[in-house]
Amino acid sequence: MLMRKLRVAIDPQWTKELQDWLHGAAGGFLFGIPLLYTMEVWWIGSYTEPPLMLIVLAITFVIVFLLNRTDGFRQVNPDRPMQALMDSIEALAIGTLCATLILILLQEVTLQTPLDEAVGKVVLEGLPFAVGVALARSILSGDRQAETNENSDTKAAKNSPQSMPPRYNATLADIGATLVGTIFVASNIAPTDEVEMLSAATSPPWLLAILVASIVISYCIVFVAGFTTQDRRLQQQGAFQHPLVETVMAYLLSLGAAALMLWFFHRLSPTDPWPVWLEETLILGLPSTIGGAAGRLAV
Amino acid sequence: MKRTFAHPSKKRTLSADKIAFAIATLVVATLIGLILYLWVTQTDQPPILTIQQTQPIRAEQGQFYVPFSLKNIGGKTAEAVQVVGELKQGDRTIESGEQQIDFLSSFEEEEGAFLFSFDPRKADLKLRVASYKLP
Repeated sequence: MLMRKLRVAIDPQWTKELQDWLHGAAGGFLFGIPLLYTMEVWWIGSYTEPPLMLIVLAITFVIVFLLNRTDGFRQVNPDRPMQALMDSIEALAIGTLCATLILILLQEVTLQTPLDEAVGKVVLEGLPFAVGVALARSILSGDRQAETNENSDTKAAKNSPQSMPPRYNATLADIGATLVGTIFVASNIAPTDEVEMLSAATSPPWLLAILVASIVISYCIVFVAGFTTQDRRLQQQGAFQHPLVETVMAYLLSLGAAALMLWFFHRLSPTDPWPVWLEETLILGLPSTIGGAAGRLAV
Repeated sequence: MKRTFAHPSKKRTLSADKIAFAIATLVVATLIGLILYLWVTQTDQPPILTIQQTQPIRAEQGQFYVPFSLKNIGGKTAEAVQVVGELKQGDRTIESGEQQIDFLSSFEEEEGAFLFSFDPRKADLKLRVASYKLP
């Protein structure tokens, strides 16, 4: 039995399937995270009636199916309707699982949460996640990006001096891209009340869990999910280009940017005690890091 | 079992994408199942709100803390639940406090505390839910 399990684990077919799922999850996180930091959605989820939940689920399924006919989360085009149908169910499942994971991490769904409230939140938050899963291939890789890459490459070739060492270039480009992605996602969340509300409900073990999740999700998006730039990224040389080092450095960068944004939007002041700074920065750090990872992929 | 190892036939091993699809179907089916379960067990009862003093009153730095817990044992969600704590001596209200709870869905419990500067144990303490609205 164990032998069989081991064989299954190393089967290349499984690696591919897992990559596809991670690929989808990465798209889901990018698309779904901003709505997860919106308390109105939690509230609406907590009093949505079951028939309406089914309707939301059905609408999500139709949207995801239509997207899967053209986009999808797999590396190949699912042109057959049957494949798109199967992929839609998988996209719905990935979206649901990811949304549940983050809702648990943020303590919006706990063991004390009544079942109807928990299911309502998962269904509503699962919608943007599932749509993100179905869009994974086109938002994070594919033709459109190849085109922009080409454009920026030619532009860069014209503008940048050729004498600059490529190693320095790659690291600097990563820092810039991380910051742009971080600011793009986190500046939508930093000025709102949610960060404060979530940090009031959290506790040290959960903060540690959020920290670990941020790093793992960021690593998965950039290095595991199998986007087109992944192979190129793994070949990049330089002090900060080792995958793990790069992920941790990017996380610290995103945390710094998150703290600055919280200060800039008057959510935190220098007179606030340091545990408040730490809590709120770590909580905003999760969407920041995901934005930063997306930013680095786009470069 | 040994024969399987010797001849790993394609018929016996399910392909990865089929198992992944099966897991996905299970997740979605569970979700739909939960919603249907909620639908069937749903009651049309309006909110029923109960308030209780959960822990003993504690005194800190000249203030008296009266912890309370508010629970909705009805079927529907209540919004903007107004909780009032009053301290009376005879007909006269000495002190009062108010608290609003944003959302209280069916069987959800919220906790909080009223603060008084007069010892509630030496007066008539009354905790009550004053109002709510339906979402």
